[in-house]
Amino acid sequence: MTAPAYILRDVSFAYRGQAALRGLSMHIESGARVALLGANGSGKSTVLRLMAGLAFAQSGEVAFCGETLSSEALARDEFFFRFRRRVGVVFQNSDVQLFNPTVFDEVAFGPLQMRWPRDLILAKVEETLASLHIDYLRDRAPHRLSGGEKKRVALASVLVLDPEIVLLDEPSAGLDPRSQSQIVELLSAWGQGAKTVITATHDLDILEEIADRCYVLDGGTVAGEGTPLEILHDVALLEKTRLIRPHRHVHGGDDRKHGAAPHPHLHVHEADVQSGDQKD
Amino acid sequence: MHIPDGYLSPSTCATLLAAATPFWYVALRRVKQTLHTATVPLLSVFAAFSFVVMMFNLPLPGGTTGHAVGMGVAAIVVGPWAAIVAISSALVMQAVFFGDGGITAIGANCFNMAIAGSLTAYGVYRLVSRRAPIGAARRVYAAGLAGYAGINIAALLAAIEFGVQPLWFRDAAGAPLYAPYPLSISIPAMMAGHLSLAGLAELVISVGVVAYLQRADPALLRTTAPDAPDRDRMLSAENGMDLRRLWAALALLLMLTPLGMLAAGSAWGEWAARDFNNPEARRQMAAASGQHAPPQRPPQEMQRLSGVWTAPLPGYAPPFLRSAGFGYLLSGMLGAGVLMLCGLAGQRILAGRPARPAPASPRRASYITRTAAGFARAAQEAWFAEETARRPGLLQRCDPRAKLAGVGALMLAAAGVRRLDVLAAMFVAAVLLAWLSAIGPGTLLRRTWLPVLAFTGLIALPALFVVPGDLLYRLPGLGWSVTQQGLRSALYLTLRAETIATLAMLLVFSTLWTHLLKALRSLRVPAVAVVILGMTERYLFLLLRSAQEMFEARETRLVGALPPADRRRLAAASAGVLLEKTLQLSGEVHLAMQARGFRGEVYVLDERPMPAVAWLPLAALVTTAACCWWIGR
Repeated sequence: MTAPAYILRDVSFAYRGQAALRGLSMHIESGARVALLGANGSGKSTVLRLMAGLAFAQSGEVAFCGETLSSEALARDEFFFRFRRRVGVVFQNSDVQLFNPTVFDEVAFGPLQMRWPRDLILAKVEETLASLHIDYLRDRAPHRLSGGEKKRVALASVLVLDPEIVLLDEPSAGLDPRSQSQIVELLSAWGQGAKTVITATHDLDILEEIADRCYVLDGGTVAGEGTPLEILHDVALLEKTRLIRPHRHVHGGDDRKHGAAPHPHLHVHEADVQSGDQKD
Repeated sequence: MHIPDGYLSPSTCATLLAAATPFWYVALRRVKQTLHTATVPLLSVFAAFSFVVMMFNLPLPGGTTGHAVGMGVAAIVVGPWAAIVAISSALVMQAVFFGDGGITAIGANCFNMAIAGSLTAYGVYRLVSRRAPIGAARRVYAAGLAGYAGINIAALLAAIEFGVQPLWFRDAAGAPLYAPYPLSISIPAMMAGHLSLAGLAELVISVGVVAYLQRADPALLRTTAPDAPDRDRMLSAENGMDLRRLWAALALLLMLTPLGMLAAGSAWGEWAARDFNNPEARRQMAAASGQHAPPQRPPQEMQRLSGVWTAPLPGYAPPFLRSAGFGYLLSGMLGAGVLMLCGLAGQRILAGRPARPAPASPRRASYITRTAAGFARAAQEAWFAEETARRPGLLQRCDPRAKLAGVGALMLAAAGVRRLDVLAAMFVAAVLLAWLSAIGPGTLLRRTWLPVLAFTGLIALPALFVVPGDLLYRLPGLGWSVTQQGLRSALYLTLRAETIATLAMLLVFSTLWTHLLKALRSLRVPAVAVVILGMTERYLFLLLRSAQEMFEARETRLVGALPPADRRRLAAASAGVLLEKTLQLSGEVHLAMQARGFRGEVYVLDERPMPAVAWLPLAALVTTAACCWWIGR
């Protein structure tokens, strides 16, 4: 891996005059698993959009593998196909992502746009469906799928191109615990390969499984950076960025000691908040 | 408004389809040409929106309800060309899934509503709104008039298409083969309903949505208002628009038109009775009936009936205005105006009374429930089709392309047959085919036969008495006479509508929608049209659910019955909210498409050529169709 997957330098972006990013900088190595943490409105979805080439920085620079990502660059066929082929985006709302009449057509959409030959498309779609264990859904219409199934189809529709970089927006949002853990397993399995996985989330529970590195966003800038463990233990940072809210929480019995199996603990213990926040 | 199967001759349908094609061609080309790659998702999602809006049950003055087509909103928000594509797509969806409008008549329906309707609405909107600022009340009025004009032009075209059928298409005995009523009946009958009810529904939706967008998202109105000054004058308050004023003005206008022209009297009385005294018509009739002279005098009762209409308005209209169609149109407008004013007056009287607790009438209180239930039912209907398409059966095993072409040929043959016995045989064959395809007579009865009978039967019934011809039977008591030609013509209409509807249902219920789409590709339908249709269906369900949730959420907060004006406001506001969701959704879908390499150019996986075995059922179906056509010609 030579050039970093993404370098963001002092990037600003505003929607209809409302600033979403204010001079944000970020450095993402190829092959890294990165989480963008932040509360609603912190700008993490915007960062993903910029990285996906769906919106462009109004000031500052977004560099993809050493090349500047701009609408001019994407207008060039050669760069467009190379970029779309290498970067896959999984949207938060699966209903937005699944716009084809059947699952099969959905997964075939990307390859069709890449003008792959017909036989390659057929083979690749079947292979992807099988690898995600959703071949039984191939003829189903997206609106008849469950939330977990939709998410898996959305993943398939991106993975079929075998992208090196995958951008995920809230992959676990709105899923039941079982589907959620399936998705997380899939994501952590990717990490073994050479894929760069960038996940925007506010779900701290899955953080360790999906990322090696975290950026905490707040108000359109980077408020903190570190490994998942470091971030999870930085209660002040998490509180400041509205990712957790101090609350009373009592463990029953022996669990209180976190004895044999210590785990990063997000709950704020009574002792910690004595003098702190007592609003509730 | 939606012309069902069996009302128009195949040649009329073909002509209208041919007339619609260049418009579609241009519209799709413009869609492809616009550098903006967002058009494909926009049109698809917007078509789904139009479909859902067509399901809104709009309360109208006078206690009735109506449905809008959405052509006014479409033409204003996305422009006339995009509206043509979106409304056409919605109409196809309605015909395929819900039997609303015939499949053979799809060209006619698209021509009337999607093309003529959208273009008229657009023209009127631009003409009336002129350079008014985006936020001006004038734009709201313009939108109302645009929707009203659009749907009425569409209805007028449909009425003319109906009306020419009996002139051109009769069987050997002189009985009309398709829609049995001449222009003198079809125009007033259609226009009365549209000038009053359906037109108002369109008006309510157009006004409501534009007024909503002025407040919520004025930028959306920019597309069709290039001349508007930049400075948006926002409406002062939500209640700034008093719809009642608009209606009163419209009602007055409607009433004044025909009175001013002193033309109303000429037409209403004539009905078909005139044909008996007109030597030209008599000659035609005689020729068409194998030289059997029609009875000398029209049935007496019919003349008496005409008298009712002619009495109050003597026929002293200028001769050039005596042409039947024109006179009927005007008197139709008069009727509509009176109706509207009565409704408004009634409302006013009721409103003037001291407020009392709303009556706990379940019918009124459940308005929202009923609308929401309608959305749910629509979704279920389509799911049902998917279920039957997965059953093991004869047609389910056929290649979709063979099925589409074969059953299509049968439908065309059924549309063209001029013999009742052949038509009946085709009906039986269709039922048999359905039975072999695991679609039982119970399903057919519930989903096709009864609904078609309820509608077409009602339309066909007066034909028994109205169509001139040989006396068959005189109703005791009333003394109305049933003519042989009338009976035959009613049978043609009903049997044909039932047969084609059964065949259409066979096709839809034995084929997955996606396979049907792919089959369209092999019939050389452009890929972009196929993709838009596919996405329309996809987002239809999302928006249906959205609309249902919106209405249900409203219902939970509702205590007692809602006055009609509020119900209208609610419906229009819901349409506005839905429209915003629609456009937001289309924007997001566009991003998702771009992210996977979409640049405006559409690619689809074309099927392999049909295997040899698939040609067998195709050949069988087409041969049957050809035989039926030949024997029944």
